[in-house]
Amino acid sequence: MSSPDFSPVTVIGGGIAGATSAIALARHGFPVTLIDEQPAAGGQIFRAPSPYARQTVPPNHEFSGGDALRQKLAASPVDVRFSTRVWGLSPTLTLDLIGPDGIDQLPPSTVVVANGATERFLPFQGWTTPRITGLAGASILMRNGGTLPGQTVVVAGSGPLLFSVAHQVLELGGKVAAIVDAGHRSDWLRLGAMLSLDPARLTQATSWMLRLQQAGIPIHHRANISAAQETETGLLLTVSEMDHPERRHVYAAEAAACGYGLKPSTLITRTAGVQHRHDHVGGYLEPVTDVAGRTSRSDLYVTGDAAGIRGMAVARLRGLITAHAIAQDRRVISARTYETLTRAPLRRLRRLEAVSRRMLPLMNAGSVIPAHLQDETIVCRCERVKAATLRSAIEAGAEDLNQLKAWTRCGMGPCQGRMCEDSARGLLTAACGNTPEEAGSFTDRMPFFPLPLTAVTGTFAYSDIPLPKAAPL
Amino acid sequence: MTPTLQTRPDVFDTVIVGAGVMGATTALFLARGGQKVALVDRQDMFRAASGVNAGTLTLHMTRAQLIPHAIRGREMWLDSASWLGEDVGALATPGLSMAFTEAEEELLRQRARVRQDMGAPIKVVSPEEAVRIEPGVNPTLRAAAYCALDGHIPTYRVGGAYARALRQAGVTIIENSPVETITPATGGGYDVRVSNRTQPVHGRRIVLSTGAWLEKMLGWLGYTIPIRCLINQLVVTETLPPVMGSVLSIANGLLSLKQFANGSVLIGGGWQGEGNINQGGTRVIPENLRGNVRLAQYVVPRLDEAQVLRVWLGLESETPDAMPLIGALTPDDDAFVVGCVHSGFTSGPYMGRLLAERILGGNPDLSAFDPTRFSTPAATGPQS
Ligand SMILES: Cc1cc2nc3c(=O)[nH]c(=O)nc-3n(C[C@H](O)[C@H](O)[C@H](O)COP(=O)(O)OP(=O)(O)OC[C@H]3O[C@@H](n4cnc5c(N)ncnc54)[C@H](O)[C@@H]3O)c2cc1C
Repeated sequence: MSSPDFSPVTVIGGGIAGATSAIALARHGFPVTLIDEQPAAGGQIFRAPSPYARQTVPPNHEFSGGDALRQKLAASPVDVRFSTRVWGLSPTLTLDLIGPDGIDQLPPSTVVVANGATERFLPFQGWTTPRITGLAGASILMRNGGTLPGQTVVVAGSGPLLFSVAHQVLELGGKVAAIVDAGHRSDWLRLGAMLSLDPARLTQATSWMLRLQQAGIPIHHRANISAAQETETGLLLTVSEMDHPERRHVYAAEAAACGYGLKPSTLITRTAGVQHRHDHVGGYLEPVTDVAGRTSRSDLYVTGDAAGIRGMAVARLRGLITAHAIAQDRRVISARTYETLTRAPLRRLRRLEAVSRRMLPLMNAGSVIPAHLQDETIVCRCERVKAATLRSAIEAGAEDLNQLKAWTRCGMGPCQGRMCEDSARGLLTAACGNTPEEAGSFTDRMPFFPLPLTAVTGTFAYSDIPLPKAAPL
Repeated sequence: MTPTLQTRPDVFDTVIVGAGVMGATTALFLARGGQKVALVDRQDMFRAASGVNAGTLTLHMTRAQLIPHAIRGREMWLDSASWLGEDVGALATPGLSMAFTEAEEELLRQRARVRQDMGAPIKVVSPEEAVRIEPGVNPTLRAAAYCALDGHIPTYRVGGAYARALRQAGVTIIENSPVETITPATGGGYDVRVSNRTQPVHGRRIVLSTGAWLEKMLGWLGYTIPIRCLINQLVVTETLPPVMGSVLSIANGLLSLKQFANGSVLIGGGWQGEGNINQGGTRVIPENLRGNVRLAQYVVPRLDEAQVLRVWLGLESETPDAMPLIGALTPDDDAFVVGCVHSGFTSGPYMGRLLAERILGGNPDLSAFDPTRFSTPAATGPQS
């Protein structure tokens, strides 16, 4: 075996997958830097709770699991950079960072992308009204902030987060006015039958469902919020049945939480130019990876939900396997050692993945919604672009997402299209018959999120500006 | 159409390669002049320079010799409803170019003078006068050049407007179709071979308008003209309360600054990025990002409240003498070029219209832009 290569590894994202991977990589002897935008490790599920939340939210597995992970990381030699975000990267994977000390760059290294998932949002008439949040946002507010989004909440969208959020509302003493699910009831029953493969999830799901049932909360399946209206006391939410649009139900609530499942965060992998594909079951774009997270670039690996939505237990296993794979690729361990180390995790991974893949259609149950958006509905909140504007641009010949963006500004605002890309793509494919592949994805540009201008400029004098030679006369 | 005809290649009066502002305007006026026109682009139309530019309609930065054309182009944009069929939102504002050092002041006066000679209504004003015109500028300036004719256009609205106008005029638009070869056809005209079609598109004449990609294509017709590719950087901020009302620049031309109606500020000026025109892909050079933004903040100090929303790069082409290429490439008048126009978005509609006029038999003065001024063509023949 030729000599091992111990050059540095950078892990982007300190959730379960990233932190697990970083710790394992450090154990293999790599110098590891871990970058995360939060002030502590934990990611979405294991996010560090505020002191207030520790008092108000009943002790739970997420808190204890997160604390254990944070302790392990603190005891490891991993160089951690919290409150730090990647805002750009070069073709050679130099990373542009902004952190507590301003702008910084990390020289090229092997990068493990573990930046997790983004919630998919689908619009409806009036969704930009205050007091309407995402399911993920509501969950963070409650679980990590100990605060209800409102005393009465309508919980809508698709996927397991629906029931988790509804349960959290009850736990903090709030009321759930209704649960509105885009999925079929039978899909859930089929999933339930498979949960025996994943006993931890089964126990949790059963206790949630019991509690929700006892509270007598109305649940609408194959339905979505079709309109929201602000009132003096909160919101009036119209719920439509997807197969019988004329059947409507109206609920009053102080707040609504709405989200349509998760999708991998692909900003970094897309910019790095690795190969991606559309997962038609999940309804999202994901980087093409092998089981260990190898991509079409030898210096970039993807692990955890960033490689496709599989959930927390799979994320930990993936993080571990990716670290071992890097050790093998760098000749730090032999193929045989790799096999020994990954045999048990891989077996477990395969079993859990079977369940996780079942979740994907449930999360993607809203995929037909964008095709039927009313003309007046705002699709892109940042630039206030309505469905009608998109439809007329598509009619004029904008048949892929980037031309649609160029002509309407949809996706050009501060969020870079993270909120509207799915609905714009769904609307486009429905309007002109193109496939999601033909529709493509918004080209990501730097910075990935707005940067304070003074962070770019720093302190300077006029004579410090390296003026190039004058333009031709 | 009979089935046999359908298997024969499409025949057009003119095939235009490159659907930016130059090619699209030429196409529009040729079609309105009665021609059967095809407009081919390797990607969607208006996605290269003509889709990503800063939209400044300024005379301060335009090459002095092109001032008359820029003035006409600017007028066309401000009146787009009359010839393009819709108002694309061009806005007339004043323009101020500033000097902060002695050397810049000298340059400012020199540049103002040559532009005045070419018909631009530019006058040099005192710092106090400049601050009165534009209260947001850094009062430490030494002098400013004021031009009443300036303004800007929301570039993003232009592509869709052209698409609708071209369709209405009957132009055949062939998008996502890279042209791979152009060969003289036996019996006259040219066969334009497109990568994703088995049959070539046949034109009795062709117009090349591929912007930064002209060098290679001119080579197919036997011309060797080294065309420099500039990789221009633009920076846009999140929306801000009003901080400026005019188009601002500095004497050496390395800053263009304006605030759009929605409140966002666009920072440009031709600072360079990195890239490779053949392989595609561009990249921001961090020092140039910082330099460009520092200059902007220096000129309008209140930009320190802004958030940088996006940085992007676009490709612009420049000939050895920085003057355009517009006109016939062959004595038979069957191959033309239009491109490499400095500040070409401003004058684009006018330049395209001039070429269309020329092709339709008119005789506009294009002598300064003669594409054969650099080299005599090598013998061409059907290529292998
Ligand atoms: C960042 C930037 C900022 C600018 N700011 C301003 C400004 O503020 N004011 C101003 O007046 N001007 C500005 N300009 C200049 C202006 O944008 C250009 O002069 C003008 O748009 C050029 O138009 P064009 O049609 O010649 O080229 P382009 O718009 O580049 O069009 C060329 C077309 O050819 C196509 N093409 C290339 N190769 C092939 C092939 N093989 N087959 C088929 N098609 C092909 C391309 O896809 C493209 O659509 C700026 C330019 C840039 C890059």
